[in-house]
This record gives sequence, structure tokens and C-alpha cells, in this order.
Amino acid sequence: MIEIDRVSQVFQTSARSDHLALSDISLSVEEGAFVSILGPSGCGKSTLLYIVGGFVNPTSGIAKMKGKTITGPGPDRGPVFQEFALFPWKSVLGNVMYGPRQQGVRAVDAEAQSRALIEMVGLKGYENFYPKELSGGMKQRVALARTLAYHPEVLLMDEPFGALDAHTRTRLQNDLLNIWERDRKTVIFVTHSVDEAVFLSDKVVMMSRSPGRIRQIVDIELPRPRRRTELLLDPRYQKFVVDIERMFDDDDEAGPGA
Amino acid sequence: MRPRILPTDVLLGTAPIALVLALWQGLVSFGFAPVTLLPPPGIVFGRLLQQLVTSTFQQEIVATLIRLFGGFLIAVVFGVGIGIAAAASPAINSVVRPIVRVLAPLPKVALYPALLLLLGFNHESKITLVAADALFPILLSTYFGASTVEQKLIWSAMAAGTPRREILFKVVLPAAMPSILTGCRIGLVISCIVVFLAEMITSTDGLGHVLVTAARTFQAVDMFVPLITISLLGLILNGLLQAVRSYLLRGFPEV
Ligand SMILES: Nc1ncnc2c1ncn2[C@@H]1O[C@H](COP(=O)(O)OP(=O)(O)OP(=O)(O)O)[C@@H](O)[C@H]1O
Ligand SMILES: [Mg+2]
Repeated sequence: MIEIDRVSQVFQTSARSDHLALSDISLSVEEGAFVSILGPSGCGKSTLLYIVGGFVNPTSGIAKMKGKTITGPGPDRGPVFQEFALFPWKSVLGNVMYGPRQQGVRAVDAEAQSRALIEMVGLKGYENFYPKELSGGMKQRVALARTLAYHPEVLLMDEPFGALDAHTRTRLQNDLLNIWERDRKTVIFVTHSVDEAVFLSDKVVMMSRSPGRIRQIVDIELPRPRRRTELLLDPRYQKFVVDIERMFDDDDEAGPGA
Repeated sequence: MRPRILPTDVLLGTAPIALVLALWQGLVSFGFAPVTLLPPPGIVFGRLLQQLVTSTFQQEIVATLIRLFGGFLIAVVFGVGIGIAAAASPAINSVVRPIVRVLAPLPKVALYPALLLLLGFNHESKITLVAADALFPILLSTYFGASTVEQKLIWSAMAAGTPRREILFKVVLPAAMPSILTGCRIGLVISCIVVFLAEMITSTDGLGHVLVTAARTFQAVDMFVPLITISLLGLILNGLLQAVRSYLLRGFPEV
């Protein structure tokens, strides 16, 4: 589905020095897979996601979607940003309807679909609220619904639950898994959290500190559908979490820049 | 969820004005200023009410309003248009920026004699002057608002399928609306001042002209009437703009 082939990204910083954010990244994501990208802050996870989204052109290497080189954003790849990025001048319904309307769906149909989606993410009754009137968790749900509304084939999620409290985070993780188990979209999911990555993913891509490289790819062979309460007691789950945490610890002990 | 106007707010808003009126009355009552030069507020407002029903005075108001609105609207159209264009295109910005730097601090009223010669004594010269003065605050705040739009709003819209050329209208313009309206508010106050000034300098009608005529014949009361009128007009127009603002910005945090 997505092929990333020897992608590197160099940024010009204000100090006029070049900063290597991503170095020689190759990764392929199969259709319908749930892949998490895990790594320390500043290792280039967001940058990698922006490259797949077509928002940033890589300095070298290419990213492909279904065999075609990615040259810009498109509705086949739907981003959900950490900052929510909801349109403040639109209501919840207006935000969710935006995508379908851009796709040329008739207003009545777009509205019906959007209302159903808003209900699915648990925000029925909030259709006419403005983003400023919602909590962080609710905004994140709207952002997810807004992206799902235009039926992207791939979801690109950048630490979507990073800013939320533990309780809301768990609920949203469960909701996301339910949605994913229903329509099996391809998901690339950036996160800081090891448990989150193991709980959700088929594959965890571990990145190392700058310059961002892929350190290791771990296949999470845990049965689905996954139930959080069962999984927490499952020794296989525990082993994945501990193994991955150990690998990051080794990374840190190797000293700065490793 | 929209803030309601509370009676205490109204009280707090009118109290300082009442204080100024009391001070004014005090200056006259305690003999600090002779009644012939500084007429008491009661007399001025009485005169204002008398005048407001006469068609000659109404025509003066209409003349001033036409100029004020004409100039202000032209400034809004050009200020917002140029500001957005400059924020969207580095090429346009590189042309606009030096011109704005040179023209913005220029006292536009210095152009008025030239405008009179070019455009005549009627509405056109005054509308142009008002537009020239109100333009820059609107342009600058539009540019500021449009060039600080959050990148991810634009990305979100592009991912949803909005073509690049439509981003300007679908994202940049609405996202910049808070700054644009702040610029408009400043532009409106400037418009009120400049239209009056222009009419005082050279005109055959309008509130500024009424004031100058009264001053030449030492009619103190008639001098204060247009002054009060323009400040009341400013108050009403600002209220209207505020209503537009709270409607357009209903989704934005804290207007
Ligand atoms: N526009 C930019 N200009 C210059 N440097 C940038 C830019 N964007 C990112 N970088 C640099 O690239 C590196 C990777 O940034 P990125 O945002 O992808 O990290 P991240 O892994 O998503 O971090 P976090 O987990 O904190 O979000 C950082 O060192 C950052 O300083
Ligand atoms: Mg990031």
C-alpha cells in the first residue's frame, strides 16, 4: 500500500546549518495493516508522516502510495494531527461535513453521513457546538470523524491521544480499534507510548534518536479482536512491552547521539 | 454560550461618559469657562434634537455618512485584498512591502490639496482621503492574520481535497478573520476622524463644514452639535461592527 524508499530529510535551520532529521528510511506498509511508529521526541516521526501525507517533499528518496509516487496531499491519505487543527469558524457538523463537500457529495447526503459519523465517535448532541466549546478528547474525536468522513484509504495519525488524560486515552484507543476492526483501513500511527503501540498495532517501527533512523521493526503477533483487559494479563503482550522498552533503554545508555 | 450583555456592563460603560458630561457641566456652572464659549451640555443636546429633525441637518449627516462609508468600504476591499494577496504570494509581498513602508507613515491629509485639484470638491476627494487613511491598518492586520494561519489548518483542508487556489478563500480568509476585523475597527475610527477633518478643511457640506461655519460666526452651540453628532455616529457604527464581529467570530475563542 505504502512504500517508503530510502527517504532522507534535511532541514535548513535558522542557524543556517543543515539538520538531518531523517536518514535513509525504508519501510513498507501493507494494505489493511495497523503500523505504529515509536521513537523519542525529535526523532522525525512527524516528519515521516508528513512525507507520506504529501505535505513535505523528502530531500532524497521517494514515498509511494499504491505504486504511485506521492507528490502532494490527497483524500486517499487522511491525517489526524496532534494539534487537532479543527476549523474554528465551523461547528462540529461543519468540520465533519467539510471533506465530503469538497469531494462533491450533495449537502443533504454529506450532512446525513456526517451526523452518523459524529454519533459513531460518541458526540451525538454536539453537532452545533464550536471547537472552542469542546474538551480535548472531544476535539480529538471530531478530528478523527472529520478525516474518516472523506473515506481515506490510509489514516495518518500523529500522536492523536498524546495530549489526553489516561482515561480518555484508553477509551479512544478502544474506539479506534473498533472502528479499525470494522473497516480495516491502513493506519500509520505515531506515538510515544509503548503500551499504546503494542496494544493497537500489527507492526511497531522503532526509530532511534536524531538523525532519525529505523532501529528495528517488531511484529506484534497477538490475536484480534483485542480486549485491553485481557491483553494486560497476557504474558505475550507483557513481553512485547518489556522487550521494546529494554531496547530503548539500551539506546539511551549508548550515550547522546546514539 | 455567547456572552450576554449584563445591565452592570451597560452601567460601567455609560458611567465614564456621564462623568465627562458632569465635568463639562461643572466647568460651565462654576464659571471656569464663559457660557458663550462653552455652552452647557443641556443646551447643546437640546439644540442637537432641534437640528436632527431639520432636513438641512439631515442632509449634512447623509453627506458625511456617504463619504465615511464609501472610503471605509474601499479601504476594506483593498486592505483585505492586498493583505491576503501579499501573505499568499512572496512575489506580491516583495512589491507591496516597500510601498507600504513608504506610504503608511505618510500623513495622508497632506495629499488632500492635490486630491481636491484632481477630483474636485465633492464626495470623491473626501472618499479617497478616508480610504487612504483607513487602508493601512486594515491591510497590515490582514497581512498579519493571513501570514500566521496555522499550517495544519491548510494541510487538513488540502488533504480533504481542497485545491491550492481555493485554500485562500476556504481557509486563509476565515482563519484570518479575527485580525481582519480588528483592523476594520481601527479603520472605522480613523474614517470618522478623517472624514470630519476633510470636511473642516475644504467642503461645502457635511458635519465638519457645519462646525467650521459655526466657528466663523462664533456660534458656540452650533459648533458643538456636529461634534456630538459625529461621536454618536462613531458609537453607533462601532456597535454595528461589533455585532458583525461577534457573529462572524462566534466560533473563535474570546472575541
Ligand atoms: N520545519 C522544520 N525546520 C527545521 N527543522 C525541523 C522542521 N521540522 C522538524 N524539524 C526538526 O526535525 C527533527 C524531527 O522533527 P519531528 O517533528 O519530525 O520529530 P518528532 O519525532 O515528531 O518529535 P515529537 O515526538 O516531539 O513530536 C527535529 O529535530 C526538529 O528540530
Ligand atoms: Mg511529532
